[in-house]
Amino acid sequence: MRFLLRRLGFYLTAAWASVTLSFFLPRLMPGDPATAMFARFRGRLAPEAIAAMRSAFGFSDAPLLQQYARYLAHAARGDLGISISYYPASVGSVIGQALIWTLFLSGVAVLISFLLGTVLGVLAAWKRGGWLDGALPPVLTLLGAFPYFWLAMAALFVFGIGLGWAPLRQAYDDRLAPAPSAAFVASVFQHAVLPAATIVVATVGGWMLSMRATMINVLAQDHVLYAHARGLSPWRIMFQYAARNALLPNVAGFGIALGFVLSGSLLTEIVFSYPGQGYLLFRAVKSLDYPLIQGLFLTTTVAVLGANWLVDLVAVWLDPRARS
Amino acid sequence: MIWRVPRLVSRRSGASPVAAALTLAAGLGSGLGSGLGACGGARPAPEPGVLEIAEGAKTSAFTRNFNPLLEAGDMRWPARGSMYEPLLIWNPMTGQFVPWLAESFAFSADHLRLSFALRHGVRWSDGQPFGAADVAFTFELLRTHPALDILGVGEYLRAARAVADDQVVFDFKRPFVPGLDDISAYPIVPAHVWKDVADPLTFANPTPVATGPFTEVTSFQPQAYRIERNPRYWGGAPAVQALHVRAYPANDQSILAIINGEVDWACDFIPAADRILVGRDPLHHHYWFPATDATVALYANTTVTPFADARVRKAVSMTIDRARLVMVALHGYTHPADATGLSDAHQRFRDPAAVAAGRAWVAHDPPGAERLLDAAGLLRGPDGWRRGPGGRRWSPTMIVPVGFSDWVVASQIIARGLRAAGVDVTLRTLDYNAWNDSVQKGVFDLSMGWTLYSNTPYTFYRGLMSRQSVKPVGEDASDNWHRLAIPDADRLLTALEGTLAPEEQMPLYHALEMVFVREAPAIPLFPGPLWGTYNDKRFVGFPDQRNPYAPLSPNLLPQALLVLTRLRPQ
Repeated sequence: MRFLLRRLGFYLTAAWASVTLSFFLPRLMPGDPATAMFARFRGRLAPEAIAAMRSAFGFSDAPLLQQYARYLAHAARGDLGISISYYPASVGSVIGQALIWTLFLSGVAVLISFLLGTVLGVLAAWKRGGWLDGALPPVLTLLGAFPYFWLAMAALFVFGIGLGWAPLRQAYDDRLAPAPSAAFVASVFQHAVLPAATIVVATVGGWMLSMRATMINVLAQDHVLYAHARGLSPWRIMFQYAARNALLPNVAGFGIALGFVLSGSLLTEIVFSYPGQGYLLFRAVKSLDYPLIQGLFLTTTVAVLGANWLVDLVAVWLDPRARS
Repeated sequence: MIWRVPRLVSRRSGASPVAAALTLAAGLGSGLGSGLGACGGARPAPEPGVLEIAEGAKTSAFTRNFNPLLEAGDMRWPARGSMYEPLLIWNPMTGQFVPWLAESFAFSADHLRLSFALRHGVRWSDGQPFGAADVAFTFELLRTHPALDILGVGEYLRAARAVADDQVVFDFKRPFVPGLDDISAYPIVPAHVWKDVADPLTFANPTPVATGPFTEVTSFQPQAYRIERNPRYWGGAPAVQALHVRAYPANDQSILAIINGEVDWACDFIPAADRILVGRDPLHHHYWFPATDATVALYANTTVTPFADARVRKAVSMTIDRARLVMVALHGYTHPADATGLSDAHQRFRDPAAVAAGRAWVAHDPPGAERLLDAAGLLRGPDGWRRGPGGRRWSPTMIVPVGFSDWVVASQIIARGLRAAGVDVTLRTLDYNAWNDSVQKGVFDLSMGWTLYSNTPYTFYRGLMSRQSVKPVGEDASDNWHRLAIPDADRLLTALEGTLAPEEQMPLYHALEMVFVREAPAIPLFPGPLWGTYNDKRFVGFPDQRNPYAPLSPNLLPQALLVLTRLRPQ
């Protein structure tokens, strides 16, 4: 319990540091949201209007520390402000809309990749030198070594544009209204297959290799030999005696990967024009939409820390030594 | 009038071929053309009578914002494209105002009072009659909320009064004839609905009550929305049943949709349009890119020596091979600018004498440029590079925003010409925001940039030569990035503010052109093309070069109304 509480304290500190960084970093970029917004009018804005807009849109000239204090107070209340590039929509509603798609796409993809990679790693280590062990790791490592955006664009070009099997943009067919209908669910699935597949292909090799390496170590240990000697079934030894112990590093990695689900899907979403957090962040940074950038950093931080906290819980469950 | 510029990736009327879009689209035209038809699988035929439009704004999720006064926010296209209408619509193709909610206008003799006679029988989409009170209310909103007054009418407008149900009068603080252009272009909102709006600056107006041809939002999803026609429309119920607008997250996505015939009307730049677009369906796919948008110029910062010298600016101009530049960087969609800098939309203002007087310094003339640079004291050193005033090598930097691939190519051509003339220029690509910050603050040597554009060349010349537009270096300036004031120009501009009759205006404009030709405050490169494409498989009545009754680009607001009310199903 003390362990978990100590971790919680650490997470709160990390959250504060991240929120602070997400406030100051965008402000170090050249330009400011006001000029970025006004530039769209190509000079056709009256100077009086610019001055009035600065205050109306909340582009404050107050000292940074004062703005920072106000931002912290608002963020603590859950008020993330109004987005500039989606004005007058609130940051909360803009992120909420995108969050669902990111969670769905990257969450499912990371989960599939983790499960698939782990199981493949277990099997490869069990039958060391077998055909699975010989063929898969080099192929998957090769695929994982491609720059991801290249892999994604090639997949989009071949399967989307060339063969016409996959849609080219968005999360569902724009002639359907979001509803719990079979057509809508099918459309969502159809739009997610290609982006999700590229994430799985790019990452599954990592999971497999790390699982295989730990598994080989564990398989050489005495308790596994003892289990063999007792005549237990190979499946039981493989999963209950070896895999459970070998799983710890992968679970810790899974926690980190889960956190990056929110931010790491940037390239996927840009290439496949998927309306999630990553695409949103890309746009927010381009238009210097400070409130939206801050909001996105905040949700990502909370997600990464939350996922790590969950991993801590799982680690305590898997490994009794962590409890003391 | 505001030339609405789409957001972000495509801030310049869609003239932002992101490198990826170009490559992708170019690849399509040559390579995988056969597979294109299969795109998106078995798409059912589009609903008859429903016009598919691509908004200029590229986004993956629409914000439901139909507030026509909130153009600085994420405003949806129909707010000013099909819902809220202005008093008059300026038609740049004819150079005339088209009477819209107002039937006529008149200035008093002292130019201090502008009155409009309103159209009779106009109703709001909820059935209430439209009248002078609505006009007065709209301009009162602008006065009480200066952030909505993006054209700055408050600077010269005292008040708008409803003198009768069909008569509205604008009282001016000082004579300012160009104000007519802005006042007549503002969208009018209904007083009976908007008087209850607490804060019009955050009001997203989700269910609009308007006078326009398409007003009823029957469906709004983040990825697409649909606007039904207004049966009460004063011009008669439109022939088109409804508008359907889809979200395209990037330029390449919308270009693909246009090529595949999913979009009937769009405002995207398309590279090699004859092959990529028209080649796909010569019968129905059309584009019209007239060079009637704002002129693109090369700015030389006059606060940096030696650009304060007009001879140097002219010499820089003479090193530029404009014919090659428009062919390579702009796909030949436009033509080199003349020395007046005027866009093709201002053709009738162009003075042949001014064009002739400036012909020498917009021609590609490297030997002439070298002579002029020598005369300005920028002599070549022993290493072949020209020396600046201090005797050190003159090494100006030219900046260009990354991602404006057409501008990057154009800047490379300009730099090559300058280097051939012995100017050690370096080209730097900057992030868009960093570039924007540099040019606005006046911290740069050379940069390409757009110019201002309105109904007449008044705004264009004011933004390039007037004392009013000059800001100190370090302060944001939305125009006059090069920081040059020319007293002769100021005199002429002030005279224009009090002149209404075209026959009296014309000599003043011609004189302004002469000042521009003499001083070369900015170096005009080419008039910007106005991107517009259409597909007449399902709808007819679009303007094009054979029938140029209005500009084609749906991005041009409120001019899009001129087209929208003429379209009819095939």
